[in-house]
Amino acid sequence: MAQARTITNPALAVRTRARSQISEKIFWYLLLCLLSFVTILPFLWIFLTAFKGPNDAVYSTPPQLIPRDPTLANFVRVWNQLPIGRFFLNSITVAVCTTGFNVLVTSLAAYPLAKMKFPGREAIFYLLLATLIVPAQLTYIPSFILAVNVFHYYDSLPALILPNISSVFNIFLLRQAFKTVPNDLIDAAKMDGASELRLWWDVLLPVVRPSLATVAIFTFVNSWNDFFWPSLMLHTREQMTLPVGLAALQGMFTSDFRGVAAGVTMTVIPILLFFIALQRQFIRGLAGAVKG
Amino acid sequence: MKKHTVISLVGLCLIASLMLAACGGAATPQVVKETQIVRETQIVKETQIVKEQVVVTPTPGPDPEAMIEGVEPNAEVALWTFWLSPTFDDYIKSTIARFEEAYPGVKVNWEDHQATFQDDLRNSFAAGNAPDVINLSVGEGWVSEYATKGLLLNLDDQVPQSVKDLYFPGLWQQQLVDGQNYQFPWYQGISVELINTKIYVEQAGLKVEDFPKTVEGLPALCKTIKEKTGTLCDIRLTVNDLLAQMVYEGDVKVISDDGTQFTFDSPEGAAWLQLYVDMVRDGTVDKSALTTTDDRVGLELFTSGKAAFYQTGPNLIREVRANNPGLYGYLAVVPAPVGKSGVVGKGLMGISVKADTQFPMASIALAQFFTNPRSMLEFSKIVAIYPSTPASYEDPFFAAKPVAIEDSAKPVAKDIVSKYADIVPTIPKKADVNEIVRQAVEAALFNNVPAQQALTEAVNKANALIGQ
Amino acid sequence: MLTQPSPQAGEGRGSPRPLVTKKFSLTPYLFLTPALLVTVVFILYPIVAVVFYSFTEYDIVTPPKWVGLKNYQQLAQDPTFWRALKNSFIYLIATPTLIALSILLAIIVNRNLRGIHVFRALYYIPAVSGSIAIGITWRWLFDVNGGLVNGFLVPLGLLTEPVQWLAEPAYILPIAILLTVWAGVGYYAVIFLAGLQNIPEELYDAALIDGCNNFQKHWYISLPGLRPQIVFVAVISSLAALKVFDEIYILTNRTGGILDSGVTMVFYLWRQAFRLTHAGYASAIAIVLLVITLVFSMMNVRLLERGVEAD
Repeated sequence: MAQARTITNPALAVRTRARSQISEKIFWYLLLCLLSFVTILPFLWIFLTAFKGPNDAVYSTPPQLIPRDPTLANFVRVWNQLPIGRFFLNSITVAVCTTGFNVLVTSLAAYPLAKMKFPGREAIFYLLLATLIVPAQLTYIPSFILAVNVFHYYDSLPALILPNISSVFNIFLLRQAFKTVPNDLIDAAKMDGASELRLWWDVLLPVVRPSLATVAIFTFVNSWNDFFWPSLMLHTREQMTLPVGLAALQGMFTSDFRGVAAGVTMTVIPILLFFIALQRQFIRGLAGAVKG
Repeated sequence: MKKHTVISLVGLCLIASLMLAACGGAATPQVVKETQIVRETQIVKETQIVKEQVVVTPTPGPDPEAMIEGVEPNAEVALWTFWLSPTFDDYIKSTIARFEEAYPGVKVNWEDHQATFQDDLRNSFAAGNAPDVINLSVGEGWVSEYATKGLLLNLDDQVPQSVKDLYFPGLWQQQLVDGQNYQFPWYQGISVELINTKIYVEQAGLKVEDFPKTVEGLPALCKTIKEKTGTLCDIRLTVNDLLAQMVYEGDVKVISDDGTQFTFDSPEGAAWLQLYVDMVRDGTVDKSALTTTDDRVGLELFTSGKAAFYQTGPNLIREVRANNPGLYGYLAVVPAPVGKSGVVGKGLMGISVKADTQFPMASIALAQFFTNPRSMLEFSKIVAIYPSTPASYEDPFFAAKPVAIEDSAKPVAKDIVSKYADIVPTIPKKADVNEIVRQAVEAALFNNVPAQQALTEAVNKANALIGQ
Repeated sequence: MLTQPSPQAGEGRGSPRPLVTKKFSLTPYLFLTPALLVTVVFILYPIVAVVFYSFTEYDIVTPPKWVGLKNYQQLAQDPTFWRALKNSFIYLIATPTLIALSILLAIIVNRNLRGIHVFRALYYIPAVSGSIAIGITWRWLFDVNGGLVNGFLVPLGLLTEPVQWLAEPAYILPIAILLTVWAGVGYYAVIFLAGLQNIPEELYDAALIDGCNNFQKHWYISLPGLRPQIVFVAVISSLAALKVFDEIYILTNRTGGILDSGVTMVFYLWRQAFRLTHAGYASAIAIVLLVITLVFSMMNVRLLERGVEAD
């Protein structure tokens, strides 16, 4: 709602505004670039180190950033010593399965909590709320024992997937989403004789799709970057996921800066590309998750 | 539309990584060029199945290397080695192949672990799937750590005397727990000082021959080096077995003879600790190398050319050569300084068998096979380590004159190794006591707690711990 | 099977009132079953188990031995535990720092410059790279010989000699906190960005007319408008700060730092349980962590309620 403003000399005002707009823009671009530099510099350095040949100094003051003897040998060396491709495959398997099951289970659970009335609803709701407070690390020792003695899936990927099939955080998020679905929609479907499951699948899920995307992306990235629990569970090389494999790489090549740099580069670049491709969805979903 | 994009992208990623993995998998199998192809063996490298073809020269009569009797048929044993891959893959694989020939029907699954070896091993014991045959570092005190928890097999009972006699007696009887031996002595190191002559000779003006013969001489040396060159000393405490270091270096009596009272807060103990406290206070020593749990960190500092000297085994000179070829030309080697105890050192590596293994005799056979004279001689030929069996030294290889700097210890190796003795008493609740000692040492080094006070407090805590 | 028409049929969209169903049906429970099953097995049972273990001595290999309150008594006198507690609380400094910096970043990127999406994506990169990759990178940054930090500060004359950053007890926590902040700013900035975009433009216009400068504009309009996001980020990041592990693990190379200067609660838990095989003792630590988290969350909930009332 624009209000009238007193303007003395319209032409002068326009020209001054245009000039200050350009210098303002330059200022902002400079600031943004500076901030990007701060954000990216550590990774850039690692990335460049990965390409350094044996004659490029890794330890030197001042540090030599650009390799003068670039080579791919470091990547080859690390690739041959560690099954990096396997790490990727494992991480993808775990992340995809976890996300798939998680979205399914949590959206199933969120529906009755949002829209149905039944005895025990409040009790279950608060029970789930209470578990949000429990730090995951607390559960690791018994879960470890459970994994080893009861389920016997120590050192295998299901050990990473099963505990994460349900996440209380996601249930709440989706409950919020389901709550915003108008009851008329549900009534109409019911009048058409739809069963609850049908209703859930055909009517509700499409409506809350943005929230489902948010939950999916959240879960995927968390599963991808999870370190503590996988490091406890996985110990044979070919079962490891990326973060665990990366830590092992660092242990294996302690004195080999270039090798570790190559390993880090190989593991970070793909997730970066993945993220950049989905960036719009991710940011939109994340932002939408926290509305007042 | 967007959902499709997401799905197709994920699908693409999945396909791409499957292809990557497939290509990665295809790159690994190696074919060893051998002349006679008689049999195929399955060997597991880093838990990947690699088919390798092995030469077998048929010998009449029983294989002389099959010394253990009663090996279970169709046994399958798991072997873990410590930081031997990737450099020694070929050696390990060929030794395993020879073993499987000597004891037909036994299968070996081999894994190598590096920096996380201890963590992985503890976790696997907890999970109940620890390996049957384990390469443990005697030098770091791992054998006594696991033996005191009852996790290792007592070898004195199970192994015939004729086999025991193959080894240097001092080595068979090292890291005894309650008088019993739990390890087959494997490859030994000789502690030497690697010297970076560029810093030591050129910049500091010191002579290699004048390197201190005793540990007491180190602080003065470090001061000189710091003054003349500005570099710090690269000295490492064995943080995982501090009491052992106290015994060897400081001739400290750490525990009473009946094993009920700790006594490392004696004047000798305080003097030993004070040596390091002074160095830290003078700022002559690199702090992160001093207290790192990882031997490679100290080596890394030296390899980068920033340290005047580093104490390690000649076998690690290969790491220096690989990572900093320029430094290799400036290396000199002298024997490492001896501690007050006068005992030159203790063993380096051993191979143990886990107590609850399903195949005890097969496991013992494997451990013994790797540590028999022939296996160790072959190992010595590819890297500067030394066998634990006197018989190996009779090979002309050890009589030959040393050529490269890595071999400089060869002529005196047998003499030194035969004198290795374990003079550390059995410590109850070793891991916890070591933790107490570590905290005391760090408090004295970095927190200005007087050495004597730190040690006395630690003794009290440790006594309380074992009193229960 | 007609449901009874609700008396307020046609009430506004997004009505949170549930449907009225006549007969009891198993359906809700069936829907909830998978989630509840996982919650019981992987969250509730472990909580009960940990409470039990905290009263025992247990090395995972042999059966647990009941010792009553001994673990808790030992905890109370354990200087390393108190240090871990202190360190975890110090780590909370990350939260207000993160909130302030993220809001700042959000304000900066909340403009329609061409290519702003590229910058937004760039700032987000640390958040998706994973704590291990970042940890390894930072270990090198601060490496005494090859690290960039010494590499720049020494030639510039700001340092006389290379500093052993990761070996100084006093520096470990600040470096770890810096890492967390650096990695988290992009992540939280996005949340604040969305919040900013929800604030009506008119408010800013009115402020301009009233002669507010930029600072006042943000202080009086943006910040209050971002309250729900601030609360959300405060809760999430403070809980994460109390539970920090990955950064310490990598930065100190699994040792926890000289003089245990980097040891936090969860790191101490890990060390006791998986390095020293004192699972019972570690369980006691876990219970203490749980109580602290509980208290914290209650405080946060109260803050939230007060905030909602104020609106």
